Amino acid sequence: MKRMYQIYKTCMKANIASAITYRVNFILNSLIMLIGNVLFPLVTVFIYNSNASFEGWTFKEALLIQSVFILSTACAGIFFNGIMWNTMSHVVEGTLEVVLIKPTSSLFLLLARSFEFESIGLLGGGVVMFVYALSGIDGMTIGSWFLFLLLFGAGLLVMFGVALIVAAISFKWVANSRLPEMFESIKSFGRYPGTIFPKAVVAVSSFLFPVSMIAYFPASTLIGRWEAYFFIAIIPCALFAAFGIWLYTYMLRSYKSAGG
Amino acid sequence: MDIITVKNLTKQYEAYHRGQDAKSVFKSLFHREKSIITSVEDLSFSVGKGEIIGILGPNGAGKSTTIKMLTGVLYPTSGEINVLGYNPHKQKNQYVKQIGVLFGQKSQLIWDIPPLDSFYMNKEIYDIPTNDFRTRLDRFVSMFEIGDIITKPTRTLSLGERMKCEFIMAMLHSPPVVFLDEPTIGLDVIAKQRIREFIKQMNQEGTTFILTTHDLEDVERLVQRVLIIHQGKKVYDDKFSELRLHLGAKKMVRLSAATTIGDIDLPGTLISERISDYEVELEIDTDQCKMGEFLHILSEKVEILDISIKEIQIEKIISSIYEMDIG
Repeated sequence: MKRMYQIYKTCMKANIASAITYRVNFILNSLIMLIGNVLFPLVTVFIYNSNASFEGWTFKEALLIQSVFILSTACAGIFFNGIMWNTMSHVVEGTLEVVLIKPTSSLFLLLARSFEFESIGLLGGGVVMFVYALSGIDGMTIGSWFLFLLLFGAGLLVMFGVALIVAAISFKWVANSRLPEMFESIKSFGRYPGTIFPKAVVAVSSFLFPVSMIAYFPASTLIGRWEAYFFIAIIPCALFAAFGIWLYTYMLRSYKSAGG
Repeated sequence: MDIITVKNLTKQYEAYHRGQDAKSVFKSLFHREKSIITSVEDLSFSVGKGEIIGILGPNGAGKSTTIKMLTGVLYPTSGEINVLGYNPHKQKNQYVKQIGVLFGQKSQLIWDIPPLDSFYMNKEIYDIPTNDFRTRLDRFVSMFEIGDIITKPTRTLSLGERMKCEFIMAMLHSPPVVFLDEPTIGLDVIAKQRIREFIKQMNQEGTTFILTTHDLEDVERLVQRVLIIHQGKKVYDDKFSELRLHLGAKKMVRLSAATTIGDIDLPGTLISERISDYEVELEIDTDQCKMGEFLHILSEKVEILDISIKEIQIEKIISSIYEMDIG
């Protein structure tokens, strides 16, 4: 465990050093990522300023959901989304051998090398928005904070699973860079309060493709507006992650048996 | 004592292909023609401790595929591999700690940061004790004389400088066996010389090297044994010193004459290149025609201005082996 921590720490430092090497590129990427992701909360501002609303949700409650979405996206970007591009790049260029010859789990090493510091700007923006949203809301307790963290973690598991599934598919369907865009479209359902959707969409986004766990469930739980099925939805999140790990490992074996 | 044993190794994989016309391209959207490619077929060989063996073969012969199976990067379709008592693909994590690998066309260095950072990353991945790491790193940096470049971003280094750093990456954890896949590709004469000296030095200290190369000077200067693969099959496996003798005792003769050189009708003699009417290059099989006898008969046929006699070039021997498929 200590060795894995040391490997991760060294890879993280190398990735940060790589990112900072191109300073202007790093600053621009961080800003663009931040600006791109705060546009939709701006739409929420405009909606509420024009006396419309998400029924049953105050402006700050709606903003809270969207800030948690940004925080989730930022964490995913920092810690594991990069494995999709890393894997695709290695498969297309035929350079996965340099990872496969190392005496550690290839999946772990690729994850460690996928640490992306550029999402730090988005994380900062998300924290600011989160704090601002919370400033106008009551109902938080120590218990709700604990449950929030539990569900936030479950939301990260969904995104982790999807990142691995997309990366795994790239072994077979080489250079298929449009798959992450498809997921982003589905993920966008998680930005809004689930109560505005029809029951069928709620069911799908809770249990089949649990994107509601990315923001809506954790944010609602934090302010005491949780339902029992939020916690049942942790199971499909864990299954997503487990399937992603299994599929990636299986495809890695297929790569080795297919001649690269 | 053999530390590498390969028995009946075979690798097959599926390949898709289509025609060039528009109809074929459109058809490939729905259905692709598939064929089974056998890149390595029934390959068997062994390597002793401390050897340097060269794996040669034309492009697509199966050299790199063999190296990839030996390093555990690819699974064999059938056959057995044993390296230092390990099965490369069943005991991967323990096995790869014992080997170093250098892919001439694929870099282990991180492009944007100095090689030194990549070395430290390898230190953690291979769990190299700090004192051992510093001692080895200092030694290798000194041997290659690259102390002033390992703190510069990798992308700013020349190919030769990068290749020296790649060697350090492969050797830092002190592996007893090192696989080199075309290690001198694209390097200039000086860089190649440095790398060959490094390999010889490490070999003298006990490291076993298996290298694939198209550079026959690497073969002549480094390897003790040659394994030639052609169309996935082993066609030659013996000492390098035996390679020249394998096709008979041939010599190359370059002849300049004052008169036109016609056909030379002597047993064991072949005009390999007619440079002009007055200058030719000949291949003489001295088993069939002794050199003295050849020169005597030649001097009666033509007025010799200049003559040079050399060993047959290694390229010709290996080309002949590719063509003749001698087992």
